[in-house]
Amino acid sequence: MSQAQLTPDMSSPNPGRWLDEHGDYLFKYASFRLRDDNAAEDAVQETFLAALKAYEKFEGRGSERTWLVGILKHKIIDHFRKIEREAPIGEGFDEGPEHAEFFERADEWAGHWNADRAPSEWHATPAELIERSDFWKVFSDCLSPLPQRTASAFTLREVDGLKSEEICEILSISVNNLWVMLHRARLHLRNCLEINWFKQPEQ
Amino acid sequence: MKAYEKLKHSIRYWLLRKLPTCQQTVEKISESMDRELTLRERINLKLHIWICAWCQWYLEHLEIIRETARAKGAESPDLESVRPTLSAEARERIRRKLAGQA
Repeated sequence: MSQAQLTPDMSSPNPGRWLDEHGDYLFKYASFRLRDDNAAEDAVQETFLAALKAYEKFEGRGSERTWLVGILKHKIIDHFRKIEREAPIGEGFDEGPEHAEFFERADEWAGHWNADRAPSEWHATPAELIERSDFWKVFSDCLSPLPQRTASAFTLREVDGLKSEEICEILSISVNNLWVMLHRARLHLRNCLEINWFKQPEQ
Repeated sequence: MKAYEKLKHSIRYWLLRKLPTCQQTVEKISESMDRELTLRERINLKLHIWICAWCQWYLEHLEIIRETARAKGAESPDLESVRPTLSAEARERIRRKLAGQA
């Protein structure tokens, strides 16, 4: 066997091998953030196409996968921007459910938690939760009823840890809009996770 | 001791009436994760949480959600992917597209 066969040729790109080695990982990364298989597939394809064009900048430095994920992050943000351009904020912009019913009470304590809807104690740590693929299914299902813009803001903030200003720029919203959206997303998601995960007898 | 308990109870109810409601407090709890609260907001929040276990849990839960989601988002890129995976159709489509470009 010659030397050329033993070591992969790094001087020219090999998109077929990229697809085999990193395609599923990149798809998983994108679908967790976009929650839309078609959009995630497009983002993966766009990533490989951009990687082909930019290959000379990579030159085999560092991990190929880290490099590809770096490109994919930009493609995901481009997708969020595109949604914004296609459906700009107008009158009656929906930030998500207000869930005022959580604080409805018949007694003099209106505005405080309704005992039936109030939080209860959770017995789980992030380290345990991250390993449970069924938890992530519930997590993703709980985000789906939210308006797309609200779910995107939540993902950019709580999954990717972007700063408020960066998210406002990507989604073309004011910081006050953003805080309302994040609040509604958290109120909804917390309640949904409690009902569908933490209060389930098998958890 | 009974007198002390009674006093604590009265202070708690007096405070609950003076402070912002739970509905207003959960909004501040959320904002506290995205911006620096003013001194007044911080004091109201601390006092409310001191006397309200529900809002205290609410804050804890938002922190668990953030920590879990960020850990998931930062999973090592070298970790072997399990599911979901690219469908056979998508894989073939991308392969053809790449072959046309290479």
